[in-house]
Amino acid sequence: MLSRVANNLIWLDRYMERGNGILSLLKVNFYANQDSPELFSWTPIINNFTTSENEFYTEDAIECIDFMVLNSGNSNSILNIVTKARENARSVQEHISKELWLCINNYYLYLTDKDLSRRLREEDPVQFLEDLRKHHLIYYGTADITQERGPADNFMNVGKYLERVIQISDFTAIKLIEIGKTTDSLEKGFYWKNLLLSVGGYQLYLKTHKSTFNEDHIISLVFQDKLFPRSVYYCVNKLNWHINQLIESNQLEKNNLEFLLGKLESTIKYTTIESINEQGLNNYIGSIKDDIRNISMNINSVYFSNTN
Amino acid sequence: MDSNQLFSSYEKLPSTWDEMYCDNSEFRKHYTGFIEYLKNTSPEKLTKKEDLSKQLFMSQGVTFTVYNDNEGIEKIFPFDIVPRIITAEEWDKIEKGIKQRLKALNLFIKDIYNEQFIIKDGLIPAELIYSCPNFLREMKGVKVPYDVYVHISGVDLIRNNDGEFYVLEDNLRTPSGVSYMLENREISKRLFPGVLPKSNVRSVSNYPNMLYKKLKELSDKTDPNIVLLTPGIYNSAYYEHTTLARLMGIELVEGSDLVVKNHFVYMKTTNGLKQVDVIYRRVDDDFLDPLEFNATSVLGVAGIMSVYRKGNVNIVNAPGTGIADDKAIYIYVPDMIKYYLNEEPILKNIETYQLGLPEDFEYVVKNIKTMVIKKTDGSGGYGMLMGHEATEAEIKDYIDNVKKNPSGFIAQPILRLSTAPCYINGQLSPRCIDLRPFALCGKDGIDICPGGLTRVALKKGSLVVNSSQGGGSKDTWVLQ
Repeated sequence: MLSRVANNLIWLDRYMERGNGILSLLKVNFYANQDSPELFSWTPIINNFTTSENEFYTEDAIECIDFMVLNSGNSNSILNIVTKARENARSVQEHISKELWLCINNYYLYLTDKDLSRRLREEDPVQFLEDLRKHHLIYYGTADITQERGPADNFMNVGKYLERVIQISDFTAIKLIEIGKTTDSLEKGFYWKNLLLSVGGYQLYLKTHKSTFNEDHIISLVFQDKLFPRSVYYCVNKLNWHINQLIESNQLEKNNLEFLLGKLESTIKYTTIESINEQGLNNYIGSIKDDIRNISMNINSVYFSNTN
Repeated sequence: MDSNQLFSSYEKLPSTWDEMYCDNSEFRKHYTGFIEYLKNTSPEKLTKKEDLSKQLFMSQGVTFTVYNDNEGIEKIFPFDIVPRIITAEEWDKIEKGIKQRLKALNLFIKDIYNEQFIIKDGLIPAELIYSCPNFLREMKGVKVPYDVYVHISGVDLIRNNDGEFYVLEDNLRTPSGVSYMLENREISKRLFPGVLPKSNVRSVSNYPNMLYKKLKELSDKTDPNIVLLTPGIYNSAYYEHTTLARLMGIELVEGSDLVVKNHFVYMKTTNGLKQVDVIYRRVDDDFLDPLEFNATSVLGVAGIMSVYRKGNVNIVNAPGTGIADDKAIYIYVPDMIKYYLNEEPILKNIETYQLGLPEDFEYVVKNIKTMVIKKTDGSGGYGMLMGHEATEAEIKDYIDNVKKNPSGFIAQPILRLSTAPCYINGQLSPRCIDLRPFALCGKDGIDICPGGLTRVALKKGSLVVNSSQGGGSKDTWVLQ
């Protein structure tokens, strides 16, 4: 496979995953913000997805959603993310299924419809976000049943799981900052619940632990659960599998990758809640993010090497 | 609304061949089947079909992006739902004429880059060849497989008021539009269910297979690595590049994906360099190799021409074919057919005046109101002067410009392009059209896909069909 194509496939799925995460976060924060705007402000969300040069801030829910979804000046707005995903898809059309290309092209056309901004302002904002998110769900399903397994699919999944780990880490870090500011245990509970909702693990948590919010249980679900598809462990495990497939089919060189991934997987698997608490969750997240950055750079080198 | 009203306001243009109506306002026989369909379909329904066609083009991604203030706007190439219909006899003549022409043109290119008999025999002046910007000295003496230089061509034909097809230009470099031939047909299938098979329309869907076969036979290998080289996503024909690559199952590459090493071309893959055997390039000659042509080009591959001359890679079409579709050379094509093939041309040329010749220049200036003047190396409908609609000042400016380099211009009488019915604002109206069939040359001869791109000047009264200037397209039905 062309190195450029591999790179485009990784980014195609990274962008789609990012879009999905942002939309979930916006919806969860919208509900929470309507309840207690003092606890769930929009600023941390804007901060996380913009660069330090950003000067746009708002505490108006609709304004914020508009900025995060439709603003063409925000490089991480859904509009820009999907535009970039579509450009990536467009240039690798012979490697992805036609259905997948049509799916992303239709999403792009939906987003560029001039009526969308009016709908956000005049209609139900939750429905607005859900309608957008539906395109991501269709994307996942279409990829699953139309894309043949093999290097293209592996590269796409690498992009997807890399992005997902980064998002879970980021979302948790955002909440930890807020949690650190309060001593009220009820408020802390709100934040933890909000984190579960943002990563989509709330239902599973209730099923497993009922309606009692225990920090250790939450951390364990978000970071270590083997079956929850949005836990860090689950994602790293999948990442490992896809990268190994790529190494086996000679699409990626072993060099450091195998080692880095093996190390990260066992760190997550074998670190007890006690030792996470001992080193502090923030440091723990920091070290996961460092490892992920290293892995990502190792994969990127595929794109920039192989020129001679 | 009565569907017969569809036809009631059809105002035929004076002394113009209409594809649907005979002179006496009777329908031509080959249109009757489709007319029957139209008469049984309400205008409301037709308008719905028109909307559907737009939606289909958009949702299938058959679009090009226009960039404005960093914002990309997706545009579709306007499509008229009423097909253009060509009879089997008409097609037969077109097919024979194009084959004859391409045979002669390939021989001409071979001759020009080798022995140059046609110059020595005094048919074409040497200075005309050497002053042509599309003549590539770098191609001198280069051997190409089966002596085929032009593998893919899209000859533009127009039909004059005598009912004859004339060649407007030959398009022997990187002609585009074939994806619209394919896509327009796919849309027609959905707009008019059942009508195509009932009308005995010949299929065009085999084109990608035909093209792949021609590309493959250029290499001795059993499984050659064939790629399509695109200038990238900002090119207005990018949709076509992705479609052809997908339909042939070959890799779509950009210049930066390729590299020359030890006299071979390679592509950079995740498991190392992989040799490339055949390149279907959609990059112009000028941008192909920064070492030999435009040094600032980032669209091409440094050193590729030297690999090509060694015979270690095939480039399709061969570099330098532009010498044969230059507008100044066009004049000589009928002579070439006689010279190389000893045959009478089947398809006519349009009478053409060389402004470099004083008597031609004088004649053209005197009859400017009935003339169109074009640059010999121009294309896309740019830089033309249409005498009948230009103001006195425009004519003067243009002629002053011509005087600086008269041999860089030619003139032709403004022809009456034939008209075909178009569905516009709920009614049928005649609009001017041309026809671009796509021909493929290879070791076993020339194949022409039975169909093509019919371009249509959607502006009332306009003779310019170019997509950059308000043109659209139609599906083209060749009957069995």
